[in-house]
Formats: sequence, structure tokens, C-alpha cells
Amino acid sequence: MIHVRRLRKSYQDLQTGTFTALDGISFDAMPGQIYGLLGPNGAGKTTALRILSTVLKPTSGTAVVNGFDVNKSPEKIRHQIGFVSCNTAIYDRMTAWELVRYFGQLYEMNEDKLQMRMEGIFERFQMNDLRNLLCSKMSTGMMQKVSIARAIVHDPPVLIFDEATSGLDILVAREVLRTIEQLADQGKCIIFSSHIMTEVQRLCDRIAIMSHGKILTEGTIEDIVERYGERDIEELFYQVIRESSKEKRKPSTAGA
Amino acid sequence: MKWSTVKLIFSREMRDQFRDRRTLFTVAIMPLILYPLMGMAMLQVAQFMREHPTDIWIVGGENLPSSPSLIEDGEISRNWVTEKNQKLLRLQGSGEDDAQFFSLIKEFKENPEANTGRTENPGSQLVDRLLEKQMQDRKVDLAIVIPNPIGSPSAIDFNGPQAATSKIFVFHNSAEDKSKIAADRLRVILDRWKHAYVENTLGENSVPPWLIQGIEINGADVADKQGKSAAMWSKILPFVVMVWSLTGAFYPAIDLCAGEKERGTFETLLSSPAKRSEIAIGKLLTVISFSMATALLNMFSMAFTGLFVYSRMTAGIGGMEMGAPPMASLMWLVVALVPISALFSAVALAAAAFARSSKEGQYYLVPLMMISMPLMIIPMLPAAKLDLGTSLIPVSGLMLLLRSLIEGHYAQALQFFAPVCCVTTICCWVAVRWVVYQFNSETVLFRASERFAVSAWVKSIFNQRHDIPSLGNAFLCCIAILVLKFFIGTAAAGIALESFIDLTTITLAVLLAGVLAPSLIMALMLTTNAWKTLKLSLCSIPVACAAAIMAICFHPALMALTSLVMTIYPPIGDMSQVGGMFDTIMGSAPGFWAILLVMAVAPAIIEELAFRGFILSGFERLRNKWQAILLASLFFGMAHSFIQQSIVTAFVGVILGIIAVQTRSIIPCMIYHVTHNSLTLILSMIAPSRVESSPVLQNIIHSPDGNGFEYTTFATVAMAVIACGIMAWFLKLEVQEPAAPAAEIDENIKDVEFTPAESAV
Repeated sequence: MIHVRRLRKSYQDLQTGTFTALDGISFDAMPGQIYGLLGPNGAGKTTALRILSTVLKPTSGTAVVNGFDVNKSPEKIRHQIGFVSCNTAIYDRMTAWELVRYFGQLYEMNEDKLQMRMEGIFERFQMNDLRNLLCSKMSTGMMQKVSIARAIVHDPPVLIFDEATSGLDILVAREVLRTIEQLADQGKCIIFSSHIMTEVQRLCDRIAIMSHGKILTEGTIEDIVERYGERDIEELFYQVIRESSKEKRKPSTAGA
Repeated sequence: MKWSTVKLIFSREMRDQFRDRRTLFTVAIMPLILYPLMGMAMLQVAQFMREHPTDIWIVGGENLPSSPSLIEDGEISRNWVTEKNQKLLRLQGSGEDDAQFFSLIKEFKENPEANTGRTENPGSQLVDRLLEKQMQDRKVDLAIVIPNPIGSPSAIDFNGPQAATSKIFVFHNSAEDKSKIAADRLRVILDRWKHAYVENTLGENSVPPWLIQGIEINGADVADKQGKSAAMWSKILPFVVMVWSLTGAFYPAIDLCAGEKERGTFETLLSSPAKRSEIAIGKLLTVISFSMATALLNMFSMAFTGLFVYSRMTAGIGGMEMGAPPMASLMWLVVALVPISALFSAVALAAAAFARSSKEGQYYLVPLMMISMPLMIIPMLPAAKLDLGTSLIPVSGLMLLLRSLIEGHYAQALQFFAPVCCVTTICCWVAVRWVVYQFNSETVLFRASERFAVSAWVKSIFNQRHDIPSLGNAFLCCIAILVLKFFIGTAAAGIALESFIDLTTITLAVLLAGVLAPSLIMALMLTTNAWKTLKLSLCSIPVACAAAIMAICFHPALMALTSLVMTIYPPIGDMSQVGGMFDTIMGSAPGFWAILLVMAVAPAIIEELAFRGFILSGFERLRNKWQAILLASLFFGMAHSFIQQSIVTAFVGVILGIIAVQTRSIIPCMIYHVTHNSLTLILSMIAPSRVESSPVLQNIIHSPDGNGFEYTTFATVAMAVIACGIMAWFLKLEVQEPAAPAAEIDENIKDVEFTPAESAV
């Protein structure tokens, strides 16, 4: 479903010259699977997800999403994905209904199908009260619900969640996580980035721990726990990051 | 590009803007309430100024003649003023201690020249200060001093001694508007009274009073009321429409780009199937709509208020007639508004796309206004008229065309309709392309991740040196050259050019300090390979010869272009004087070789090092040789003082740029440049006898008006064909080395650009 190979992204930075945000990462994510990208701030998670959602172009390497290459067919990929970013990213001066409908229309959905789909989503997420409420008057939790509804309105096979629970209270965060689990159960391929270990432990089938633009370790949580002999995922995370710091550090590939 | 997506984005943006109170206030509410409020304020102020009473302090009122009497019963006589205004002029009589002013005024004011030999003397100034103080203490607006008795009109003994002229002093304080208005009001009254006094005196001496009229001069305005009104509105309305269409475009543009970046919705939109170009055009159409709406609402509100206010005010501004703007004017404005709004909206949107936040976006409005303002003000100048030259200036040409249409000069407007439309269309197209480019550029869209620090930037300049300069270095060098040339040129303008030595000194100073120094210093300090940067490698002999021959063959065409430019934009001032001075200076040169050295060789070498050396090398980082050549040529043109010279120089710059890029050496460029400059000098200085004695020269150059030589049409065409052939040969040359190493391009440029397929509109 998602195949990432030697993906690299560099920028020109005033202080450090060429700055590498992603340094040749590779991973695969399958349908029905939740793939977790784990890492501290500046590890390169958002850059990787922006490339997968075709907002950014890679400097080198490839990423194939549902059979389409990010370099060759970015337009086709956009029809295959739903992207939820860390900030709720919804239009303040639109109602929930207008906003979801707008994105459905951008995805060129048939009017009847869109109507049915929206009715279903609003029912499932218990958003009928929000239909005619301007987004500016919503709480953060409500906004995140609308944001997810917007991302799934066209029923994409791939969903990308970039720190989707960041800034949410524990109740709303749990609700979001439950929704993600349900979507995975429907056979969607989900990429989920976070720096909250417990969330990842609960949700993800496979994880990749990233730091300074590189994947330090990758596999199922069980494999990684076995590899490092550490049961607590937070401790495991610290250990992986610490070991990588000890090994080597190129000054030119400082964090994002 | 799918128009259904564009329409979808456009409708959403429109709805969004209609729900934004700030935008609605700027676009709709402000124009609707601003002008009526301004009109009301003007009426109030005018009313206040008219109705406010004026206090006048009269010193020496007893010295006034009894007939005709200026003052009756402590008030201005009704003979000179209406009853209403009489009540508004309140007189204060003089006290006993006021007599001291008589002596002071007699001494310092009546005959100041006799006192010190100067009009402004300390004594006179002292009296002024004293009176100002007295006027403030007495709370009066004016002081009238009559130092000497003025006799009643009587018969004069023409054979007797000549009587001194009677004087009245009116003191006012120009720093206070109330005092100035009072002085104007009193001046009218005093003039009427003086006129009656003179008439009476003439009557007493048996001279017919009509003699003082002399010859009566009557003026008449043949313009009809509508014409006068159109003339007035034709100046005001286009300006108002331009300013408001830019302002109306800017605020929605900021909200649609920078605002969206701030809210984080931009990323969501970019990950949707809508293409960058569709998003850009959808947003652009929204901005255009708001720009037009703002301009229209302002125009109608201003016209309506203007009509109402000016009909209430007696004489209008400056005595001009201000009726309602003719319907035709408004119609033409609406038609012209479409391209104006499109242009300003595209520029505003591109600038707003660059901004990281709404706050940063606001900062771009002032520079944008400052750049646009001269283009908007040029057409308002009384001397500005629609001709080929002005019609080719963006914005100004359109405004002048609009003025012609409003004034009803349709024949003139039709004549320049095509050039104005062409220029406006090109500008709109370029601006729209710029918007799409901005939306395709990752560096523009995700600038939020950057942190700019001056110290880091300076450090990076020195730490991140490459063998050739960066794009930023090239721009910096251009700006340094333009600024230095401006200051050195301005300083040199004060020096009188008397001899060839003066000319040499100034020319070399400008070239060495203004052009060579910045490019050489930057090449040495900011690059690791100055030799490569300045393209100092040698060229083959065929290339050198080809450059020289091409310069000779292109010269007639370029001279024809110069004549054309001179016809379109005739030089201001008397060129014959300049020509005379030029001959004198050249006459003092030690020989023609010296003139060639200073005027042809030195500029060629130095300008090539700067423009085809350092600057073009930097621009070649764009990876598009044509863009690089055009940019370098543009700056090469701008570095020349006069617009006429700049246009032709930019064309020469393109030819030189091609040679430099194709041969990777500035030696053939220098050869071309020296040849071109030398031929120009020779053509301007060649003796007629030399031409007459040479049959070959007679076929190439001729003197149609006996004033200087120019190329014959045959020679121009034939030589241009040969030059084009040589140019084709240059273009076929294999470029010897890439502009930048492939790896470097991959690192620096590839990561900020989308694939052509994606960036296509």
C-alpha cells in the first residue's frame, strides 16, 4: 500500500547550509495496518508525511502510495489519501457541513453519493449538532472531529494522521484514537505520527522510531521490545535515541 | 486546469470573505460611510470658517479720512460690506498707550530700506514680535495700523511738492488659519474702500474716474458645463479607482494566502486534488472581485458625495466646476477596472503568498503602494498626455487612455488603444504567472519553517562559498552597483565639465568605484573561484573575430532602435546645448585614441566584468540561461542613467549575455562591447569629408538632414541578416561547462521546485 524507499529531503538553511530533514528513510505499510512514526520534535515525521501527502517533493528517493509514485503522479495520490494535520486546519468561517461538503466536491464526488456519505459520517461521529455551527465557535475536540470527517469524506484507502491528538484533552484524544482503530478495521492503511508513546503502543501494528531524519529502528512493537530487551515503550524509546546519539552524529544532518 | 475546481474554490473564498467583517468593512462599509462623513466634515469646517467672527485691532483709526469713511460708529461702514459680514467683523479701538507703535512703525516699517539697507532688518522683526504678542494678548486676528493722517480726497496742486503716499499696515499671523482668513476678508473690504477713495480724488481733480480702469480685460471659458465637469473628474476618478482597487485587492489577498497559512488550512488544501494553479486562479478571481467591488463602491460613493457637497459649497475647489460626473466617464471606468483590478490583484496575491503571516503581509502593502504610486501620479500631471511613449508605461498608459475616453477624445484614445492593451495584457499575464509560480514554490509556501537572523545570514555568506556566486549574491551586486552609481553620479553632477580630463576623471570614477569595485570585491570575497566567476578564460580566435563582426553587423540595427526609442521617448531639455558642450570637451582630448580609451574601451572591460562576469554567473544558478540573460540585461539597462539609453542597452545586454553563456568567456563580450562603443563614437564624430571621399562609406551611412550620420536602410537590413547568422552560430556552440556542478544543483535547487508537469498551468 505504502512503499517508501531511500526518501530524502533537504533544504537550504541559512545557519547550517544544506539541511537534511529526511535522510534516506525506507518503510512499508499495508492495508488494515496502523503504521506509527515515532520520534522527538524535529525528527522528520512531518516532512515524511508531507511528502506522502504530496505537499512537498522529495529531493531523492521514492514513495509509492496505493500504486502511484509521489514524483510521477502526485494528483492521483491526492485522490487516494486523507490528511489530518496536527493543527485542526479547518476554515473558521464555514459550518461543519459546508466544510466537509467543500472537500467532498474538491474530490469530485457525485452529489448524491456525497450527501449519503456525509449523512453517514455526521451520524457516526455524532456531529449532527454541529451541522450549522461555524467552526470558529467550536471547541478543539469538535474541530478535530470535523477535520477527520473532512479527511475521510471521499473514503480514501490511505489515511495520514500527523500528531492528530496533539493539544486534545484525554477524552477527545481517546475518541480520535478509537476512530482511527475503526478506520483500520475497515481495511484502511493508516500512517500515524506521534511523540506520545502510550498512544503508539495502543494503536500501532508496526512502528519506526525516527531521529534526525533517519529511522533508527523499525518493526512490530514486539520485535523491537525483544530486540532491545526493554518492556516499557518509553524506556525503549529513550534507549534507542541514546544509542543512536552515542554511535555517530553528523553535524550537517541536525534535526528538523 | 479544471474550471469546475476553480469555480468551487472561487465560490468558497467569496463566501468566506463575505463572512469576514474586517474585509467587508474595508471593501463596502468604509467607502459607503467614509465619503459622506468626509463631505459632512468639509461642510462643517467651511461653515465654521465662514461664520466665525473676526476680531480686528485698529491703531490710529482717527487718522482715517472722514470721506469716504471706512469706519462708522465703531463698525466697518455698510458701504463696503454686507450687513451679515459687518456683524462678523468686530473692531477694537486703540488705547492711549498704542501711540508707541506709531513711532516704531514709522521708524522700522515705513521705510525699512532707508534704515538698514535691507528689507528684513532686526528692528522690523522686533516690531513684528511686539505686534504678535499684542495680538495674542488682545485676542485679535488682525491689526490695522494707520500711522499718519490720511486726508480726504481733495484737489491737488500738481505744481506743488509731491505728497507722500498714505500707508495703512495690516498685520496678520500666517501661522494661524483664522488670521489668514481674516486678512483675506479685510483685503476685499479695503480694496473697495481704496477704489472709492481714488475715484473721489480723481473726481476732485476733474479726472474721469473710468481712467483708472485703463483697459478692461474680459476672460471667458468656452468649455461647456459638462466638459468642465468631465475634465475635473477625468483627473480625480482614475486615481481614486486605481488606489482603491489596489487597497481592495490587498486585504483579501492577505487573508487568502498568509491568513490561510496561519490557520494551517493551506496544507490541507494543497493535499486535496485541486492543482496549485487551480487554487491560485480561484483565489485570484476572488481577489479581483473584491478589488473591483471596492473600487466601484468608492467611485460611486465619492461621485455622489462630491455632487452633493460641491453643490452646497459656493465656488467649488479652486473655482472649478464640479457637476455630477458624466455617465460616459463612469462607464469607461468600469470597463477599465477589469484589467486594473486583475493586475493589482495578481501582484497583491503574489506578494501575500510570500508572507508568512497576516502581519507580515500588511508590511508589503506600503512598498507596493510606493511602487505603484508614481505610475498613478504621472497621468495626473498637467503635462502628461497620451502618446506612444506614455501608452507603453504600465498603469500610467491605461490611466491616460481612460482620461482621454472620459474627456471624449475618442480619436486619440483609439490611436493608442492597441499599445495600452498590449502592455496591460502582458503585465497581467506576467503577474498571473508570478502568482502561479509562487503557489508552486515550496520555499514560498513553507517559509514559516525558516528563521532569519542577520548574523547567521552574514556568516552563511562567507561560510557557504561556492566557485560561482549565488543568486542572492548576484542581486546584491546589482543593487550595490545601482546605488553606488546613483550616488557617485549625483556627486559628479555638481562638477562642471570643462575639459576632457574632467570627463575622464568622472567616467573612470563612476566605472571603477561604482561598477568594478563591488563586483570585484564580491567575486574575491564571496566565491572560491573568481577566475571562473568572472569568466576570464580565453576564447578561440574564430570566436573573437565572430564577436567583432557581429558587433559591426548589429550596430546599424541597434542605431535604428536608438532612433526609434528617441522618437517614442523624446529627450527632455535642449540637446543642442549638450551637443555643443560635448564637442568642446572632445576637442580638448589629446587624440581620438584617448576618446576611444575612455568612452569605449574602459566601460566595455569594466561593465563586462560586472554584468557578464559576476552577475550573469550568479543568475545562471536559475538553471535557465534565458532567464539569466534577461535578468542580467535588465540590470545592465537599469545601470544606465537615461531611460532611452537603458532600453537600447538592455537589448545589447541580451546579445552580450548570449555570447557569454555560449562561450563561457567574457573576452568575446569585451570585444563586442568595445567594437559597439567605438562604432557609436565614430558615427557621431566622423567628418563629412571622410564619407564623401569614400564610395563604400557612402553606401553604408548617409546624412539625411545634414546633422549627423545614420546607416542606410539597405546597410541596416543586410548587416542585420549577417549578424543574425553569426548569432545562430553562437547559439549552436556547445556550452563548454555547466553553470553549476550537477550535485550542487541537486542540493540547492531541485529540492525547492516541483516537476514541470505539476507546475504547468
